Amino acid sequence: MIVMVLKRKRILKWLLVGTLSLFLVAVTISVIIVSQRKLPTVDLKLARESLSTAKEAEANVYAEKLYKESLEMYEKAMRYWSIENSRFILFRDYTNVIILAKRSKSKSEEAEEKSIKLADNLTKDVEAAFINLGKKIELYNTLFKKLPLPKSVFDAHNKSKMFLSESKIAHESGKLKEAEILFKKADIYINHSNNAAAKMLRDYFNNYGKWKSLANDAIAASRGGNKVILVDKVAHKLYVYQSGKAIRSYDAEFGPNWMAHKERAGDKATPEGNYRVTVEKANGNSGYYKALLLDYPNAEDRRMFAINKKNGLISRRSGIGNLIEIHGNGGKGFDWTSGCVGLRDRDMDDLCRLVGSGIRVTIVGSIEPLSAVTKGLDF
Amino acid sequence: MKSKLMVAIAAMGIVVLFSSCQKVPQAEVDAATAAIQEVKDAGADLYVPEAYQALVDSMKSANEKIEVAKAKWFPNYTKAKETLAFVSQNAVDTKAKSEARKVELKAETEAMIVEVKALVVENTALIAKAPRGKEGREALEAIKSDLAVAETTVTEVEALLANGDLIGSNDKIKAAKEKATSIKAELEEAIAKKK
Repeated sequence: MIVMVLKRKRILKWLLVGTLSLFLVAVTISVIIVSQRKLPTVDLKLARESLSTAKEAEANVYAEKLYKESLEMYEKAMRYWSIENSRFILFRDYTNVIILAKRSKSKSEEAEEKSIKLADNLTKDVEAAFINLGKKIELYNTLFKKLPLPKSVFDAHNKSKMFLSESKIAHESGKLKEAEILFKKADIYINHSNNAAAKMLRDYFNNYGKWKSLANDAIAASRGGNKVILVDKVAHKLYVYQSGKAIRSYDAEFGPNWMAHKERAGDKATPEGNYRVTVEKANGNSGYYKALLLDYPNAEDRRMFAINKKNGLISRRSGIGNLIEIHGNGGKGFDWTSGCVGLRDRDMDDLCRLVGSGIRVTIVGSIEPLSAVTKGLDF
Repeated sequence: MKSKLMVAIAAMGIVVLFSSCQKVPQAEVDAATAAIQEVKDAGADLYVPEAYQALVDSMKSANEKIEVAKAKWFPNYTKAKETLAFVSQNAVDTKAKSEARKVELKAETEAMIVEVKALVVENTALIAKAPRGKEGREALEAIKSDLAVAETTVTEVEALLANGDLIGSNDKIKAAKEKATSIKAELEEAIAKKK
């Protein structure tokens, strides 16, 4: 009996030792498995750091898609890591987490590289656009600023300059995308103003052939020793020709709507064509110091007025206008007359000493062709 | 002796059980997440982007530390908790920085609005004194139109400011100030030449 009990105790003891040994072996194996398993810690840390560097390089702005993909991969890796961690420790597998982390890192690096490249290119584009816009503004100032432009053209030009300033400020603050949007707006406005002004100038010069012929006739008429007045509206000059040569040149001012031929009363345009001085008004007889009254409207003006009225281009109530003079009170520096040619008083004195009633006056848009007026500038 | 050994094993078992059951610091995670959201709502991503990004990165780091702890036999969240505490504390500072920047930007913009308005008044007076010399009225008309654009910009800036666009309004008023200042210089130069 005692032997039996001892034997059973020994069996139990061995069973306990065996079970404990097995447990210890299992624990050891588990510990080895777990310690051997690669954790995604380093990969995720690297992925996060890459994302941060890419963001610093504004990849979220310039390589938005790549950066977003990279961020999504990082977040997915974190989710997978959490899912794996919720499983029993021996069954966890971080392979996918590591793959995703590595992909995220690689995408971030790609996004960063792309962003730097794009930002560089954009910087160059923006700077080139600033130069280009500057040239367009300069062109406006050189060619169009003094033209009687409509307010819309004027305003568009000024808006363009404001957008350009805003764009430069955005560029200085490193906001290249914003700078790009703003210079594009500036470009739209400057193109609008320059194109409208250019069209106006080109359309006006469609009459150049006629002006050239009028000017040549006038100069030819002076060859016999006669004095002839030739007025160039674009150049804002009044010349006195004698023997085919300009013996005098004065600065002249016109009506605010000078880039048009006078068609009716009140249109503030200065007529173009051949006229004669009919009356010489001394100081005291003119509201504008001294004056040389022209025979506007001449026969051609009357004929055109009748045609335009018939065709409904001029209101039935409109008159043709009169009292177009070369007079004094000029030198204001702007086109202020009602269609007359305004000279400085001292120039009027000089002119009146040279010419008088009956002298031929030829008024043209321009003596020079458009290419000469624009000094060969491309517009 | 045997019973002492059993007690020791049981105690160890309890310790192991408790330590292996240490919970994820969810309350701290939630608090830090809410703090970041609050900071974002305060516009920190716009007004103090570097500080905001640092905060977001720290939060990511805290999440990683939590997973690192979870991956262990006996999770220990001390490091994660420290980072989360840092995030929560830093969020308060970042929010304060963002608010301060907003106040600074608003004050700067408002001061510039006053300056530009004064420049517009000054320029209008200078236009009256400006010579109608060679470039004459057309030049003055162009300057007037330029000034009108600057004036319109001030109105736009005030609207942007009222809508809370502090950065946009600040950039715009800078451009308007530049414009008004250049107009003033142009007019003063013309007047000086006249003298």
